[in-house]
Amino acid sequence: MRLLVIEDEPALAGLLRGVLGRAGFAVDAAEGVAGAEDCLRLADYDAVILDLGLADGDGLALLRMLRGRGQALPVLILTARDAPEDRVVGLDSGADDYVVKPFHSEELVSRMRALLRRPNAALGVDLTLGNVTLHTTTRQLQVGVAPVTLSVRETSLLEMLLRRSGQVVPRDTIEEGLYGFDNPATPNAVEVLVHRLRRRLQDAGATIIVHTIRGVGYLLAES
Amino acid sequence: MSEGAAPVGRPAGLAHRGGGGLARRLAWRLAVVMLAGVGLAAAAVAWRTIATIRSIDDAALQSQAQLVASQLAAGPDGRPTLQLPGTLAARFRESDDGSFFLVYGRSDHALIAWDANAAAAVGPFVPPPPATGLFRVPPSVDYPEGMLGAVIDAGPWRVVVAQTHEQSQALLDSVLHEFLFSTLWLLLPIGAMTVLIGVVTIVQGLRPLREASEAAACVGPDRPGVRLPEAGMPAEVQPLVAAVNEALARLEQAIDAQRRFFAEAAHALRTPLAVLTARIDELPTAPETAALRGDVNRVTRLVGQMLAMARLEDLPLDLTGTVDLHRVAVEVISDLAPLAIRRQVELMLTERERPPPIRGNAAAVALALTNLLDNALAYAPAGTAVEVELAAPATIRVSDRGPGVPAAERQAIFARYHRARGARPAGAGLGLAIVAEIASAHGGSVWVEERAGGGAEFTLDLGGMLRVAAAEERSGDLAPLRRSRGQGVLSRRPDHGASAAPGESRDDDARRLPISSPTQAASTIGS
Repeated sequence: MRLLVIEDEPALAGLLRGVLGRAGFAVDAAEGVAGAEDCLRLADYDAVILDLGLADGDGLALLRMLRGRGQALPVLILTARDAPEDRVVGLDSGADDYVVKPFHSEELVSRMRALLRRPNAALGVDLTLGNVTLHTTTRQLQVGVAPVTLSVRETSLLEMLLRRSGQVVPRDTIEEGLYGFDNPATPNAVEVLVHRLRRRLQDAGATIIVHTIRGVGYLLAES
Repeated sequence: MSEGAAPVGRPAGLAHRGGGGLARRLAWRLAVVMLAGVGLAAAAVAWRTIATIRSIDDAALQSQAQLVASQLAAGPDGRPTLQLPGTLAARFRESDDGSFFLVYGRSDHALIAWDANAAAAVGPFVPPPPATGLFRVPPSVDYPEGMLGAVIDAGPWRVVVAQTHEQSQALLDSVLHEFLFSTLWLLLPIGAMTVLIGVVTIVQGLRPLREASEAAACVGPDRPGVRLPEAGMPAEVQPLVAAVNEALARLEQAIDAQRRFFAEAAHALRTPLAVLTARIDELPTAPETAALRGDVNRVTRLVGQMLAMARLEDLPLDLTGTVDLHRVAVEVISDLAPLAIRRQVELMLTERERPPPIRGNAAAVALALTNLLDNALAYAPAGTAVEVELAAPATIRVSDRGPGVPAAERQAIFARYHRARGARPAGAGLGLAIVAEIASAHGGSVWVEERAGGGAEFTLDLGGMLRVAAAEERSGDLAPLRRSRGQGVLSRRPDHGASAAPGESRDDDARRLPISSPTQAASTIGS
């Protein structure tokens, strides 16, 4: 996993290299737009951490240029701009996540991992949380060392939750992801499915738990 | 930039009404002038016609008198004899209007009279010699029109020719009649055309103004770059448009400068905090590290809230967007769910029906709900639930099972830098003030009540903009941008009476009432 950190504050850039390096990422740092362009030309990165207020230009312009070129690599904006409108503009410009400074190292690392866990992103094969591992290609679930059998829908639900672990997955998203137009969800189908998944994880001794955010969705976290 | 920037969208309606008024006023005035002109022309023509006919009459009478005089000859007895040629006699006979003549000697009785009756009627009014010329005979029973006569000297005699007025009157009538009908038929279409052309010119001349008004209605905090079109503008209005555009340019510069300032301030404050946070995260786990982390978190919160408050105060909030309260609630709850799970508080959303989208600023509403939830999560005991409830048309209610807010503090908690007793140390005392500011910007209000069964129940009512929007749609007005700062009431329940209803209290002092004095605020920050 190779990351490019574009940050013009040297102290922060150094700290970011340290934090992300210890988390297992290879990190290059660029101080500005020009340096970042050089790096992006020379190497393939799995994701970019982008500061917006750079000394030699606007990070948003760089992001738009990247997206304009059809570059799909995940971009996490890390900025001091905290006005609510800024966040909207950032995401609209093609950022995948938006983190306002200051941030906690753990949070940044976990959000970076979440970005890379997204479908088609670099970390796509094995999804792990706690003692639970889902092999997305073989659709096999392992809790601890023991394999556990789930129904097709339960597996899909678990995958959705694992890909965004620590974040709320809206109920609507789950319904759309699990039930097609031909086979619409019955009113409490998702509740029943979550209930079954919870029991299976519990029975298997999993150290993860599905939290219900009533009226909103579900959140998977380590217990 | 507070009240001054408020009614940005107004001119559209005004210009529209003004345009119609100008055209109508011009049409009226032109019509009146045209009618008066036609009347005056008719009167002048009549007057001239009468004068002309009279002079024709006069000349005719004189020449008839000359004719008669030329046929006079002295008889043997000294009396005049008249040999009228057939043509002349026929003319007097045929004129049934009573043209006739008299011949006088030097005395005042007629020597020859064509018509004795008429001679008797005319006789007293013939000017005595040596006067000659025209004279008038006033109307009498036999000659109700009166008569016109001429007297000339013819050698030893005087010849008088007279005629009744009937002929000239009839001629005058017919000329006037002719004039009024033929000329009026000509003048009326010309008048109508003039009025029409005037109205069309006005309407077309004002069209660029109307377009400019529509452009002006689009100017807002999010689009301060809009300028009024100057092309095609009537020269009379161009200075106004240019001046408005200059004012808009200055406004744009001011807003841009503010935006840059806040972006730089945020950068300057947050970057060192980010370095500090990252450095602390590097430290080994220890009680001191946890304490440091808590301190940094507190400063971070404070900086965030102060920046948000300053932005709300100094930058106009763009309220032209639509707010889907359901989406806002789902987003905010999703963001705060991990925090709620750490605090072992259940977070839930209930909505009996999905509220319809409203006009406003979704990001600001999200910030308001975040602050309300932050507050509720801070006070909710572990194992309880914090409930977000949406209700139509535009109400967000946040309820917790915490200690609640004492009645005496229910207004004060929305004031800036207010610190509730027993508040957690991380609070900057700005979170709820920001909620109140956002509510009032939307023409709504926020208040807190005691929840049935214990706890606090905050209600954020954003219905004010709805009413504004409905009123605008009714009047067909395009005034989407209204900064309702200084309107609305911060923290009163709507049932406190009409005087406290949102939007009715325009008194800025009333809004600032619950806010502590600067010294108090400063000491609260320091403590």
